[in-house]
Amino acid sequence: MTMDFDAIVIGGGHAGIEAALALSRLNFKTLLITQNLDCIGKMSCNPAIGGLAKGNLVREIDALGGQMARLIDATMIQYRLLNESKGPAVQAPRAQADMYEYACLARWVMEKQAGLELFQDTATDFLLNSRGDEIRGVVTERGKSFTCRTAVLTTGTFMEAKIFIGNYTAVSGRIGEPAAMGLGPNLSKMGFTLGRLKTGTPARVLKSSLHFDRMTLQEGDKAMIPFSYFNDSIERPSVPCHITHTTEETHKIIRDNIHLSPLYGGKITGIGPRYCPSIEDKVMRFPERQRHQVFVEPEGLQSEEMYLNGISSSLPEDVQEKFLRTVPGFEDMVIMKPGYAVEYDYVDPTQLSPSLETKRVQGLFIAGQTNGTSGYEEAAAQGLMAGINAAMKMQGKEPLILSRAEAYAGVLIDDLVTRGTKEPYRLFTSRAEYRLSLRHDACDMRLFEKAMAVGLHGEEAAERLKNKKNTLEEIKTLLAERKIKTGDAQKIGQLKSHTGESLAVALKDPLVQIKNLGIICDTLNGRDPRHLKQVELDIKYEGYIKRQEEQIKRFERLESLKIPEEFNYDTVTGLSTESREKLKKIRPVSLGQASRISGVRPADISLLLVYLRNPCKQV
Amino acid sequence: MKIFSDREPIVALASPWGESAIAVLRISGEGSHSLLERVFKGSKKPVNVPGHTLVRGTLCGAGTNQSIDDVLLAVYKSPASYTGEEAAEIFCHGSLAVIKAALELLTVNGFRPANPGEFTLRAFMNKKMDLTRAEAVNEIIRSRTDKARALALNRLNGSIETQINEIKDRVTTMVSALEVQLDYPEEETENDFDFIKEAGDAKQRIERLLSTYSAGRIIQEGISMVLAGRTNAGKSTLFNLLVKEDRAIVSDVHGTTRDYIEGAISVEGIPVRLFDTAGLRISEEPLEREGMKRTRNLISGASILIYIVDATQGLTTEDEEFMARYRDKVKIIIVYNKIDVHPEGCPENGVPVSALSGKGLDLLNKTIVMTAIGTSAPDASEAVIDSIRQKECLSNAGRGLDDFMEGIKGHMPLDVLAVCLKDTVDALGELTGEVTSEEILEKMFSKFCVGK
Ligand SMILES: Cc1cc2nc3c(=O)[nH]c(=O)nc-3n(C[C@H](O)[C@H](O)[C@H](O)COP(=O)(O)OP(=O)(O)OC[C@H]3O[C@@H](n4cnc5c(N)ncnc54)[C@H](O)[C@@H]3O)c2cc1C
Ligand SMILES: Nc1nc2c(ncn2[C@@H]2O[C@H](COP(=O)(O)OP(=O)(O)OP(=O)(O)O)[C@@H](O)[C@H]2O)c(=O)[nH]1
Ligand SMILES: [Mg+2]
Repeated sequence: MTMDFDAIVIGGGHAGIEAALALSRLNFKTLLITQNLDCIGKMSCNPAIGGLAKGNLVREIDALGGQMARLIDATMIQYRLLNESKGPAVQAPRAQADMYEYACLARWVMEKQAGLELFQDTATDFLLNSRGDEIRGVVTERGKSFTCRTAVLTTGTFMEAKIFIGNYTAVSGRIGEPAAMGLGPNLSKMGFTLGRLKTGTPARVLKSSLHFDRMTLQEGDKAMIPFSYFNDSIERPSVPCHITHTTEETHKIIRDNIHLSPLYGGKITGIGPRYCPSIEDKVMRFPERQRHQVFVEPEGLQSEEMYLNGISSSLPEDVQEKFLRTVPGFEDMVIMKPGYAVEYDYVDPTQLSPSLETKRVQGLFIAGQTNGTSGYEEAAAQGLMAGINAAMKMQGKEPLILSRAEAYAGVLIDDLVTRGTKEPYRLFTSRAEYRLSLRHDACDMRLFEKAMAVGLHGEEAAERLKNKKNTLEEIKTLLAERKIKTGDAQKIGQLKSHTGESLAVALKDPLVQIKNLGIICDTLNGRDPRHLKQVELDIKYEGYIKRQEEQIKRFERLESLKIPEEFNYDTVTGLSTESREKLKKIRPVSLGQASRISGVRPADISLLLVYLRNPCKQV
Repeated sequence: MKIFSDREPIVALASPWGESAIAVLRISGEGSHSLLERVFKGSKKPVNVPGHTLVRGTLCGAGTNQSIDDVLLAVYKSPASYTGEEAAEIFCHGSLAVIKAALELLTVNGFRPANPGEFTLRAFMNKKMDLTRAEAVNEIIRSRTDKARALALNRLNGSIETQINEIKDRVTTMVSALEVQLDYPEEETENDFDFIKEAGDAKQRIERLLSTYSAGRIIQEGISMVLAGRTNAGKSTLFNLLVKEDRAIVSDVHGTTRDYIEGAISVEGIPVRLFDTAGLRISEEPLEREGMKRTRNLISGASILIYIVDATQGLTTEDEEFMARYRDKVKIIIVYNKIDVHPEGCPENGVPVSALSGKGLDLLNKTIVMTAIGTSAPDASEAVIDSIRQKECLSNAGRGLDDFMEGIKGHMPLDVLAVCLKDTVDALGELTGEVTSEEILEKMFSKFCVGK
């Protein structure tokens, strides 16, 4: 086999898949090295894609030319639009996946991808130039040396990983899979700062051992709406989930055995996520709560294994069994796989530029859980951006950097490289300042053109974008021109107070809904409900959207003030010592990014502004 | 954080804040000449004249033709100006009333009040200044931020600064409560946060702070106050008591005072121009009628009317009719005089006074202060907001809250309304420092348990 590549991607998880596909689709000769080809695209934890903010990410990935949306569209077994009763900014799609089908399809897409080779092995070291600041290749456990111009590192939860179940520990990155050893110490030798994080997963149980009649049924939405802008509809079976909850007795058992938890016994030193806490954490940190929700989710159409969302644990297996059986519906439950915690190495992401390239070693990009995040969507978004930017680098082009005001992916990456993270970072709606502009329904309008410029989207995207824009305009014109008559108000009560107004004006009333207007305005019938919905949101919240656009303009002023790469902070007299240290470490690309570094004071930002505008470099 | 990141039109008073023959307002920024057209009516348009030209004209509100002052406008074109930008200087008459009106006119018409040092900073950025002066600019920026907030919020020490932080805290808590509802399913969050109450509360606090702004202005500029009432009620006696001088003639003859007399006094630190006026009664005599007409004119232009009633006679329907005419125009204090002879003669809504003995003067002074500025006079240690910039920040913060509450009443979803709160947080942040979304998350997770 050839040993020379343009790009090497390490790790075939959700980040690695996107990185490898983007690079090979942009015509770079790419190699994916992953520990086990049969584990490509495996869902380590929750068999679901999307959710609040994450659903937006999936659609952004699609709009930018990634794969994740298409994978879930083809393998979903339940779809729900979350928060439909709430506002436009927090509505997000979520789907249960048939996780076996999902992984299988991911691997198949990779196998068929021209220009991409797959290789099963574990990467253990890098080849660098003599100065040690540029990537040259990758060395594997079995002693192979591959050369490359760029590499994307996506080790997930595997680097120097250990799993814990009560007293039991194993050198493993996911239960049943060995950890990837060697790379962590070598990255440290190269000068990178690494840390330890931990995360956990719940037990998987046998479907036929559960009493679903003691739980609450949770069905999916009637219609499955595609995540991908390139799919028009989905015809797949929909399987329900079930909801139950822990009891006082559950909590008592956990409290009585808390000393057996590796986390509380001090065995795990890594920091866990606050927002996806284990049941031990929930019980200990919120003693006043009498119960916690548990979602029972199917893992696939051809599997009896059920996932217990919300109750991850690393207590000994017998304790897990004991407390689980106190949950209504779980009385006779049979555990197929125990819950466990995993502790692994991550790379402090402030060592990266916003392009996800390391500042220390040129050509080396890092993405996914390795950067301290948790979640498939977060990993995939980073993988895609790292892949794109590795390609841009090889093409000699500027990196693609998304702003906080145009994509959740922009928020995610900016947060990581600017502020770093001390615990597994998960994306939230509330991490974004300009949510009304980050709606999931309009990712195509914000991002298609960027992907077209990069080369990941072509004719079809252009055509779809044009059609959509035309359609939305058409609907808006229609609504603006159609005046409400007395007869209309008889058919739709909410229109009563709006007679004489146009439908567009009436839609600003929270009680008036576009989906009901077909009765009086036939030209609205038969249109894509997604388009109608998008127009409705645009109109209903127009004033607020405008207001946010003003806020974005203010925000962009500082973003557009670039700080040159070679800028010497030592020449700026008057900077506080703390700010100077932080600025030198992060090396922000813009004044806006500088202003978000924690510990950098506003006074110092003003000062920098002066020096940046100053044409003379000598002081 | 809003710092010097823009070229938007700014305005500031370049001469000292105080009475003077001429005051200079300085303007700079992109588009400021065409913006000036809204408020400056002169022989030529500033956009049309060459740089370094003087144009005569008047300052008046857009739409209205009410002129504020006759002014001279010095027009500077980019880059030949102090800042290097399109700029102008307005020379107006140096009365505080004119300066204040002119500044307000310009700020409502698109000019932002300049931050301290901003003109110099712009000059520097546009390379109008050489490097040798860089240190000086550095100083200026330092003072904008470090000396800080000490300077920017120069008066905002002590209790008022605490107040701003309290408001900020409340709004941040509101934002956290709102965010938590966004990111977690209904079942998992406590949904009983009363946004209307919290927002209303924060708004009230902002209002209270804003009212110190007018107090600050009033303390600097003063008010005018007219004594009026029927003949022989004791106006002149009270006037003499207040000016602490035997200025007005007092007698038991009805209609003693024929023309008004003016005196300057200070009421708990507020400068007051005080007028004694001709008593009101039905009279055919032309001189007395002219006197009464002047009384009416004075009242129309005053901030406070002190209406004096002879307590021995009580309030008549004539008195009430008279006051009714002014109720919407000026603030009225009803004083019942001569309580030395008729101690029971003052109802609840009046201020009992004996102009002869000086009894009740304390309460009268307090009432005047309360009426003038809506609160009791700030004591020396508790300073007040007195810059238009601070007032603007607070008003913006208040507007965000208003729109937020209105949205909630109109059943707008919370995530949309968060946009309004962001304006509030930004505006308050500009007054005191930063609120980042990380902080909000921090708050959120310390309080709530989180699931799916
Ligand atoms: C126990 C557990 C609990 C989790 N809990 C949660 C949770 O609660 N919430 C949540 O959002 N997410 C959770 N996840 C995280 C989720 O699985 C990851 O966020 C996501 O899979 C990260 O994607 P990735 O591409 O970065 O890495 P992964 O999906 O972990 O993939 C990494 C891949 O790289 C391979 N690899 C690693 N190192 C090397 C090497 N040196 N050479 C070759 N191949 C290598 C691995 O074999 C693996 O296939 C959990 C994961 C685990 C294991
Ligand atoms: N007992 C008593 N007499 C007062 C008091 N104040 C005023 N007087 C008397 O009332 C009479 C009228 O007082 P003025 O102050 O001249 O009254 P005025 O309201 O100015 O009257 P005109 O100028 O005529 O409108 C004088 O004899 C005063 O001495 C008071 O507080 N107590
Ligand atoms: Mg008199």
